[in-house]
Amino acid sequence: MMRALPWIYLLVAFVFIYLPVAALVLFSFQSGTLPVPPFNGPSLQWYGEILSDDDLMAALRNSVAVAFGSSAAAVILGFFAAYGLARYVLPGSALIRGILIAPLTVSYLIVGLGLLIVLTRSGFVLSLLTAAIGHVVINLPLAFAIIYASMGSQQQNAERAARDLGAGEVQVIWLVTVPILLPSIAAAFFLSVTLSWDEFIIAFLLTRFDVSLPVEIWSLLRSGLSPRLNAIGSFVFLISITVVLFLEIFVFRRNRQ
Amino acid sequence: MKCMRKILLSTISMVAVASNAAAKDELNALVWCDHTDPALIEPFETEHNVKVNLREYEGTGAALALLEQSRPGDWDVLVIDGIDVFRAVEAGILAPLAVDELPTADFFPEVVMAENNSVDGVTYAVTEKFGYNTVSYNSSKVDQSDMEDLSTIWSDKYNGRISIYDYYLPVMGLAAIAEGIPTAKIGSGDLDQIGDVLSIMRSNAASVAGVVAAQTALATGEVDIVVGGGEWLTAVLAGERPELTWTIPKEGAVRWAQSIGVVEGSKNSDLAMKFINYIVSPEGQARLATSSCFWGMPANAKAGDILTDDQKAVLRWNQQPDYLALTQLYPAPDADLDAEMQDLWLETLQQ
Amino acid sequence: MGWGFVAPALLWTMAFFVLPFVVMGAMSLATMKGRTLIWDLSLANYLELAEKAYLWRAIVVSLEITLTVTLVSIILAYPLAWIIAFRVPKHWQRLALLLSILPFWTSYVVRSYAWLLVLAREGMVNNTLISLGLIGNPITIANTRFATVTGFVHFFVMLLTLTIYANLVQLSPNYRRAAMDLGATALQTFRHVILPLTLPGVVTGAFLTFVLCIGDYVTPQILGGNTELTVPQVIMVQLGRRADFPLASALALVLMGIVSLA
Repeated sequence: MMRALPWIYLLVAFVFIYLPVAALVLFSFQSGTLPVPPFNGPSLQWYGEILSDDDLMAALRNSVAVAFGSSAAAVILGFFAAYGLARYVLPGSALIRGILIAPLTVSYLIVGLGLLIVLTRSGFVLSLLTAAIGHVVINLPLAFAIIYASMGSQQQNAERAARDLGAGEVQVIWLVTVPILLPSIAAAFFLSVTLSWDEFIIAFLLTRFDVSLPVEIWSLLRSGLSPRLNAIGSFVFLISITVVLFLEIFVFRRNRQ
Repeated sequence: MKCMRKILLSTISMVAVASNAAAKDELNALVWCDHTDPALIEPFETEHNVKVNLREYEGTGAALALLEQSRPGDWDVLVIDGIDVFRAVEAGILAPLAVDELPTADFFPEVVMAENNSVDGVTYAVTEKFGYNTVSYNSSKVDQSDMEDLSTIWSDKYNGRISIYDYYLPVMGLAAIAEGIPTAKIGSGDLDQIGDVLSIMRSNAASVAGVVAAQTALATGEVDIVVGGGEWLTAVLAGERPELTWTIPKEGAVRWAQSIGVVEGSKNSDLAMKFINYIVSPEGQARLATSSCFWGMPANAKAGDILTDDQKAVLRWNQQPDYLALTQLYPAPDADLDAEMQDLWLETLQQ
Repeated sequence: MGWGFVAPALLWTMAFFVLPFVVMGAMSLATMKGRTLIWDLSLANYLELAEKAYLWRAIVVSLEITLTVTLVSIILAYPLAWIIAFRVPKHWQRLALLLSILPFWTSYVVRSYAWLLVLAREGMVNNTLISLGLIGNPITIANTRFATVTGFVHFFVMLLTLTIYANLVQLSPNYRRAAMDLGATALQTFRHVILPLTLPGVVTGAFLTFVLCIGDYVTPQILGGNTELTVPQVIMVQLGRRADFPLASALALVLMGIVSLA
């Protein structure tokens, strides 16, 4: 019995974790207009509806664009900041690090609210760009922290060796630093994309017409009870699992060989 | 390295594609969720070959703030609560409307509401849809007769089976009517009485809910009664769940109305006017009345020629004259009273 | 030279984070009279916060929910992370970890909504409890604080499992071996060796949970029934209904203050 305890716990934990996902996916196949029990025979009508919903598909594309764009910016800015702080001794570096990390401790709602006030008072139009700016603000500290933490003596020694061999600064960064730090750069990028993709409140406050997927889903949520919500949730889930499994099989496994 | 480059390239191209909108005329509208139904918007878009950009908003305060922070020309059309039109006019947000071009003669007379839609004799908006904030309920779970009397709707008998619609004006209006206070006459002194009624409602309620939350709660059996509900809440569900219905109690209920107008400074005022013309035309009205977010009575009575008998039955088309006579408009408090009412609402929500 | 590298990130943070903060601080000292913003540099908003019950009550509610969620999430996530790190064969660990955080990728908004359906009176949980004979009539779970906490715990258990697992795996197995060699039981090893070593990681995770939970709007809004409001909900009410930026700013700053105290 004792030996089985961990496995029982594991099972119970997984049931808990997958409960809402199960309900979601099950009722996305509901034939009928309400995603509530009883479940009437499987139907693909809702998937058909969401795939032909232009607003929803546009929001999906917008989310991808904002996620990739803002994550790329965050990773680039974070990488250079980490490099600068690690390579050079700067006065007040502790303060700089503090400022860069600070947004991590602040709720997204507050970040969004602050930006909303400043941007609208300065006359900026709200759009996907403003939402992306907000996402860079929340992802930059993460990217910086992850990359900075992985900078170590091995990498610095390699850099020193390259410089000794006559490489210019740009070459050192591009040919030595980045390849060595690639795992953490990739991790930072991946994490940023994940956070930005699903982020709601900042996108909600800072967009006008072109919205991200979570905001569009929120509008759907306010527009009437329907299994469309289940369908889009399951759809997003399906895409994400595919991507993750793909990465797992083709990228991570290969690295291990 | 290669995959990094690929990611950057695809990012740039995606951004380029996303910002490459079609070069049609565009109409920017700030609306309630019932205007986002493609069945309503697409016929207009195809006929005039334009793109209608829609943004939904939650409360009048948010809309007014959004509009005040926008530059002239950012918005063309505004949908707003009938009783808040004067606020929009005061803030310089609405432009005068050429109401003579609109078929208001075909409207139900009680909902033309010229006084609400105009300021100093100039008309700024036109009513497009109306309905009632009364009580929605599950007829298979509650006593029909209890629903016909305001005092028994939120009584202890239904403790835990009630949800309150999350909008202070109509619910406080209902509370006032229950106490015999006409909604038009609510003053600071009445707030204590209204507050007591709200407390009773709240103590018997399981939740306070917005549109979808209330629909979900009724549909899943969380609650059997929604105070402040009405046709707008249950009509959408009526097809599949005919036991979810509504009624107007004998003391009366509150009538809501939404108006539509052209935004001041719009660069597309002709197109905006065409849009409004479409919305108040019988076809537009019929589609708006049965829009997927919430249903309501069309302001234009001629829409009755287009609606099906089933749809009209759900809307209680034939009982409208009685209902219109029995119901009162929303409370229309001034800024100070409004702040007090909102505070009272939030206080009672969080007992 | 080093400044050149650091400057872009620093400037971005100053412009889009620090500046909005300062502006928000200034805004919290203004007042909203009807529709106009008056820059009168007064503490009126903060006083309002102290007076109006629904405002400071929201702070209490937020704190209660957040502390409950943090505690429960850690208690549930730690064993899960432990099992994956030490009981699951090495080969399957990444898969097990991935499986336990996979629901992250359903949309957050939709996931909260799905919980509403699961916890409904006619939903899965009630149906199961009734068919197991544990209860006679359906119980109300949705639209309560319990539902909000459940929704939060669901999310944070996944998050904490990930972070605690990362922490556990980094531990050199030598510590455990040494303790075992010295005769400690598994429980003693855990209490005196593993736990203290992983405590910093757990604390960081707890802090992250606290910050994310207290500032979240979506979960309490969808699951909580709106009968008691959390601070983010009250902020959104101020923004949505009254466009009262000054009061919203004041609330936001108070929220920040609470988080910094943690």
